[in-house]
Amino acid sequence: MATKRNLKPIIGLILGALFFSLPFIFAPEALSLAGQINLAIFLLAATLWVMEPIPIYATSVVVILLLIIGLSQQGPLAQWTQPSETSVTAVEGAWQIPAKAVDDDGRVWLRSDSKWRAESVEVIGESPTNASVRVRSNALSEGATIAARGNNWQLSFTPPSYTNYLNTLASPIIILFLGGFVLAAGAVRYKLDTNLCRFMLRPFGTRPAYIILGLMVVTALLSGFMSNTATTAMMVAVILPIIHCTPAQDRFRIALALSIPFAANIGGILTPIGTPPNAIALGALASRDIAIPFTTWMLFTAPVVIILLAATWLLLMRMYPCSVDKLPLELKGQFQRNRKAIALYVIFGATVLLWVTESLHGLPSAMIAFMPVALLPAFGVIGKEDIRSLPWEVLWLMAGGIALGYAMNQTGLALWFVDLVPWSNLGAFGILAAFGVVAILLATFIANTVAATLLIPIVMSLVGSGVVEGIALQTAALTVALGASMGMSLPISTPPNAIAMSTGLLQTGHMIRAGVVVGLIGYGLLLASAFLFWTRVF
Amino acid sequence: MESSLSIICLEDEPEVLEAILRDLAPFEERFRIEPAASAQEAREIITSLEEANGQLALILCDHVMPGENGIHFLGSLISSESPVLQDTRKILLTGQAGHEDTIEAINEGGIHHYLTKPWDADTLLAAVRKQLTRYIILRNINPLPYMQLLDAQALAEHMHDKNLFSEG
Repeated sequence: MATKRNLKPIIGLILGALFFSLPFIFAPEALSLAGQINLAIFLLAATLWVMEPIPIYATSVVVILLLIIGLSQQGPLAQWTQPSETSVTAVEGAWQIPAKAVDDDGRVWLRSDSKWRAESVEVIGESPTNASVRVRSNALSEGATIAARGNNWQLSFTPPSYTNYLNTLASPIIILFLGGFVLAAGAVRYKLDTNLCRFMLRPFGTRPAYIILGLMVVTALLSGFMSNTATTAMMVAVILPIIHCTPAQDRFRIALALSIPFAANIGGILTPIGTPPNAIALGALASRDIAIPFTTWMLFTAPVVIILLAATWLLLMRMYPCSVDKLPLELKGQFQRNRKAIALYVIFGATVLLWVTESLHGLPSAMIAFMPVALLPAFGVIGKEDIRSLPWEVLWLMAGGIALGYAMNQTGLALWFVDLVPWSNLGAFGILAAFGVVAILLATFIANTVAATLLIPIVMSLVGSGVVEGIALQTAALTVALGASMGMSLPISTPPNAIAMSTGLLQTGHMIRAGVVVGLIGYGLLLASAFLFWTRVF
Repeated sequence: MESSLSIICLEDEPEVLEAILRDLAPFEERFRIEPAASAQEAREIITSLEEANGQLALILCDHVMPGENGIHFLGSLISSESPVLQDTRKILLTGQAGHEDTIEAINEGGIHHYLTKPWDADTLLAAVRKQLTRYIILRNINPLPYMQLLDAQALAEHMHDKNLFSEG
């Protein structure tokens, strides 16, 4: 028993090592050495993220470490293989250079302004020992510095500084989430979220269908700003007393238990900070100097969230109606009135207000996010205990994903993936439809952030390469990021699903039936938004 | 899976022990229930748990027994640094509870709950459920497998307050 349990992680690690070595064994010709290193890291990360022999956030930081070692300017690999230089000498009306200075494409790499530039040359003669050649080229001059080996991998690819990879750990997108985390920590500490929930539930009355609608709206709104998981845990605590008031065999219990995780998963789409896959999309866009303001994100995703939430509500009410007309809803609880709680309300309110008005004032949302990071500790609203218990590992998870995406763009790996498939036959609609469905399917089985991390760099390069016309990078990123939040048909799909299952109120079959329909509706909405809405604006 | 969690029931009278075990049957789903007829036997179980890397979630203990009494036994566990005994919840189940005994149980035995004999099954179940829930929370054990068996609401609130699960 014990040995069987320990086998899976070992298989995961072995497979990871195996996949890591594949790019070096087969060395695809269209891929540079940098691309091969990147592919090895990508395959290792994908295996570890899927098999989970180590936690997914640990894999993320391992990715950053490998990128620093293998693909950074200061890393040992780049240091040990720095291109050596030589100079051009004039001999009998031609240039004499080392034979190896000419690369496989018949070019010589010339150094100017501390950058390498390739120039085509015409080889007209070899020295007797084959060590040097004579070439003709207008680009060369007496004494010019050239690379002694034209095939050195650092000529066509300049490894980025290691700081570029490390900076992902504190990139504006990570700070944006950090802002959300400290607000959530404060909200939990002063019970702001629980009280807000009870306050917002009141108008929905006591009729079962409207109670569920209320629960879903509140869950979605809160999970748009807090973690989907924390929101689900809180709402499960809210629905348990309601459940005890329903008749024992009432199928309405299933509707109640499903409404919370589904609304939490859907609500994460609503804002940039709603759920980690959003960060991967924003990170990939930011590395191409494209920013989606907080307000714009909300505006563009709100139709999907509202329609999907309404559809899910109708679906659950149809599948699992309630046998009683009225359910008692205990909504006691008072907003705390001490000085620190009030400081929290003001800072929380101001931050959210500034976020949702970004298009009016233009202050970047990450800048605004840093306000609560600084002010909440300054006013003593949160202490060092709260800071220590922030979900730092989620930040690491996202940073690793962003760093991998950045590298894939730099090394050309993403483009190499793109070239593996004749995409142009699919057309714009086909491409988004394909990536959307793959995102939803992947996210059903593996972590949503990982699904987004594996797909977004590829779809962005595909769209950016100009193979197809008519898709903006933003549309591509949004489609995959939102799709990654829509896989919710299994208990393992998302942590909120797992929490709902643990209550024992429903069986896996219930979740699959409802989750598949929600996923299909979400998929339809995604493509409709992409082509009827986003492509017209971006 | 986590290392297994155990409950020790210490009671010298076989019929009474059997009755307790019958009442605690629902918890067998997630906990190993170990009967013990004397303090000596209970200590042996703890030693075997140490070897098996187990954790003792709860001791349900009689007071009046030949040899070492319940309060003395529970008190002797307080200073133990054994990993098995960290945060172990203690329930004293006793028939002849004098004023002095009660005070001693709280001060010296470090008990968390006091039940009188004869007990009714629901009261016992409620007390055990509450103490086990407390144990899961104190030890920061993944609460999901225990939601159905224990106090789901308390566990859900704990998950929320401590932000126990991060998103992936």
